[in-house]
Amino acid sequence: MQAILPISMVPGNSAIHKISPLPKFLWVGAVLVLSFATRNLAILGGITILGLIFVTIAQIWKSYLKVMRIFFPIFLTLIVLQSVAPAFPRPWTPITPLGPFTIYQEGIYSGLSMELRIYCVTTFALVAIMTTHPSDLFTALQRLGMPYVLNFIMTVTLQLIPILQNEFAIVLSAQKSRGLKGTGFSALLPSMVPVFVGAIERVQQLSISLESRAFGSKGIKTSYRNIHNTIWDFMILGVGMLGSCGLLSWIIFDKSLDWSRTLVFAPWLALTLVGVATLGFLIFVFFALRAVLSA
Amino acid sequence: MSDRKPIIEIIGLTYQYADTERPALKDINLVIYEGEYVALLGLNGAGKTTLELSLNGVVPNMIMGEMEGTVKIDGMDTDIYPTRELAKVIGMVFDNPEFQMSQMHVSEEIAMGLENLGVPTEEMHRIIPEVLQTVGLSGLEERSPFALSGGQMQRLAIASALAMQPRILVMDEPTSNVDPIGKEEIFAVAAKLNKERNMTVIMAEHEVEVMAAYADRIIVLDKGSIILNGSPHEVFGQVEILEKIGLRVPQVTDLAYKLKSQKILDWPLPLPVTIEEAEDFLSKKLPTKG
Amino acid sequence: MPEPIIVCQDLWHIYQGGVIALREANLTINRGEIIGIIGQNGSGKTTLVKHFNGLLKPTRGVVLVKGQNTAPMRIQTLAASVGYVFQNPNHQLFAKTVQEELEFGPRNIGVPEEEVAERREKAIEFFNLQELRLLHPYRISFPLRKLVGMASIYTMRPDVFVLDEPTTGQDNITTHIVYQLIKRLREEGSTIVCVAHDMILLAEVAERMIVLRDSHIIADTTPREVFSNRELMQSTHLTPPQIAQLTLRLKEHHKMDQLFLNVDDTVKDLDSQLHSNSPK
Repeated sequence: MQAILPISMVPGNSAIHKISPLPKFLWVGAVLVLSFATRNLAILGGITILGLIFVTIAQIWKSYLKVMRIFFPIFLTLIVLQSVAPAFPRPWTPITPLGPFTIYQEGIYSGLSMELRIYCVTTFALVAIMTTHPSDLFTALQRLGMPYVLNFIMTVTLQLIPILQNEFAIVLSAQKSRGLKGTGFSALLPSMVPVFVGAIERVQQLSISLESRAFGSKGIKTSYRNIHNTIWDFMILGVGMLGSCGLLSWIIFDKSLDWSRTLVFAPWLALTLVGVATLGFLIFVFFALRAVLSA
Repeated sequence: MSDRKPIIEIIGLTYQYADTERPALKDINLVIYEGEYVALLGLNGAGKTTLELSLNGVVPNMIMGEMEGTVKIDGMDTDIYPTRELAKVIGMVFDNPEFQMSQMHVSEEIAMGLENLGVPTEEMHRIIPEVLQTVGLSGLEERSPFALSGGQMQRLAIASALAMQPRILVMDEPTSNVDPIGKEEIFAVAAKLNKERNMTVIMAEHEVEVMAAYADRIIVLDKGSIILNGSPHEVFGQVEILEKIGLRVPQVTDLAYKLKSQKILDWPLPLPVTIEEAEDFLSKKLPTKG
Repeated sequence: MPEPIIVCQDLWHIYQGGVIALREANLTINRGEIIGIIGQNGSGKTTLVKHFNGLLKPTRGVVLVKGQNTAPMRIQTLAASVGYVFQNPNHQLFAKTVQEELEFGPRNIGVPEEEVAERREKAIEFFNLQELRLLHPYRISFPLRKLVGMASIYTMRPDVFVLDEPTTGQDNITTHIVYQLIKRLREEGSTIVCVAHDMILLAEVAERMIVLRDSHIIADTTPREVFSNRELMQSTHLTPPQIAQLTLRLKEHHKMDQLFLNVDDTVKDLDSQLHSNSPK
């Protein structure tokens, strides 16, 4: 996890860091289920705010914002597109025309609720990932019965992805040094064979090295990482599960939570929202094109 | 040497890999004593790696082929005892440092073997800093193994093997993919383990000058058979035999041999294998300045 | 008449992230020279030679290959003048047969088909690959694969060969083959730049050694000068070949005027020392 994505553990000593891995990830699962169970903007907003409170407790704002920055253009696009073409069953209620398009009430609602869904799930996921050592997570999963080999495969794959990317770059430069022109698929093929062969040789050697360290031998396996589940971890897990079940039943049974037809946006609000989003989107496209063309 | 007990006994070992035309090892008979530093020499394909892999059971248990004869490690027959048991006595390091790495952190890399053996967690936390210190990598517990230099990675591989507390350390061309500083580091660690802990060291190498200085015994393999087995002086003195199979001797040995055979200087046997030995003799024979 | 073929003027290379890999490198390589480049990993030696075929472009300063500035040139174009043999042949080889591998390079640089075949045959003969020609590159041993790697650059007929650690991982027999090849390449008029840790190889073939330490070129002179400079060797943690060390020590107290780089020359010198004083 360290090298591939900008998302990795942020070292720290907060209360959230101290919680053991499973409760954290089960909370993420619960948030996922809850957020897709409703479009109610208040509920989704509330969950998101809870997530941001956790971000504050975990003191990971800097890294959190770095990742959320990546999502920003997606959010803008979503609002713009949804407003004029809602992913929602008709009939649609128009609010105001915008050029050749019409902004729909359901569109804005749908756009906002999709955004909030993404926000809250991502926020909770980032809190969990950034406060958990990956090895601790794998060890916890192992204790639950996940086969050791699976754990191992995941660990190795995470390490190897950046390495193979690097190998590919080296091979490509070796082939360019032999005059290889072009960037089409057929031109890249000479570079892929050596990387595959290299990967196979590596795995063969690795498996002999592992065998020499008694990998895969029968018998008890211990783990290096200490995972103690304290009473707090169980309590947090309990609170989370109870709260989710409660919220879920409320959502399912209280029909009045569906505001999709009842919440009406004023035309000025709708126009401002869509206008700002479109502007932001166009600015982003401009900078992206510039970056691509100058590369 | 007579008070050392045998720790490796190989009797009549013949091994042929599946789908090959000739055996990789032919009728190997060899005894290695505890605490010896043994160098294995031979061309690529002579059988060095196969011989080493037969010591911890990878051959024949993991790699397909036909085996005859017996290999006993500290009395344990490799055909009967599983690798898990053998791994407690014999540790192995291979020629590509990076291909031995798989974990996210140095400490986890070392812990891997210990986890497989079921060592209690608290003990692991004691062993890991100890072995890191032995190989000179203290303080690097949280570093990614892939961010280390070649020499450091190889020392990590040695530490990972050492953590399982073997009495024999087998190394297959450990310095061939490492820069000069790294080479020195690795040779120094091997020598330290041999001298200070009586670790039996078996090293396949091409650096004959270094092996002449460190090894107690040199074994030369050619096309699957042992053709020479003796002290560095005994083995490197056989210059013609080694040249014929394409192996090099230390340059000072080659010098002495040529001076002797071309009748320029009657160098007494045994021929020198280190600079000091050569300088010692030559400085007495050469006219001095001034 | 020395003809400069690669010139580096005030060359600096700074990687992304600010790491200065090469500082103020000034260097002229003349046609037909065999040059050894030594230094620890991280000293800048690989960074330096990667500028010769355009794999790296200068951050500051200029690199000229056959008089042309490399900065605007593509690697693929420079490949016709400077052939870079990578250390790990596995990074290059991908074809189904050794033969095809040899044809890849010249085809890429636009050599007409009949000539491609001619060059392939010449390479097979030069590198003694007759028995391997129809084999899959990954089915032959690693040392031989390295030779195929060299051969596949040879067919491109570059003016300069950059060899990255040509003897690392090789056994004695193939190492000797590499010595002979380097000498024969020079006889054909090629210029050779050899980056290596193998001091015995360089003592055998190099006429000029460039030593790097901490991103600086700290010496550019003959192998003899380099190996006799104890301080230089110690500060770069490099060890001269055993025979050079021995003769250097003997030189201090005995009538040897220089240190020797190989066994045969030492034998000849000792012969003359020992027998010039005895009655014939």
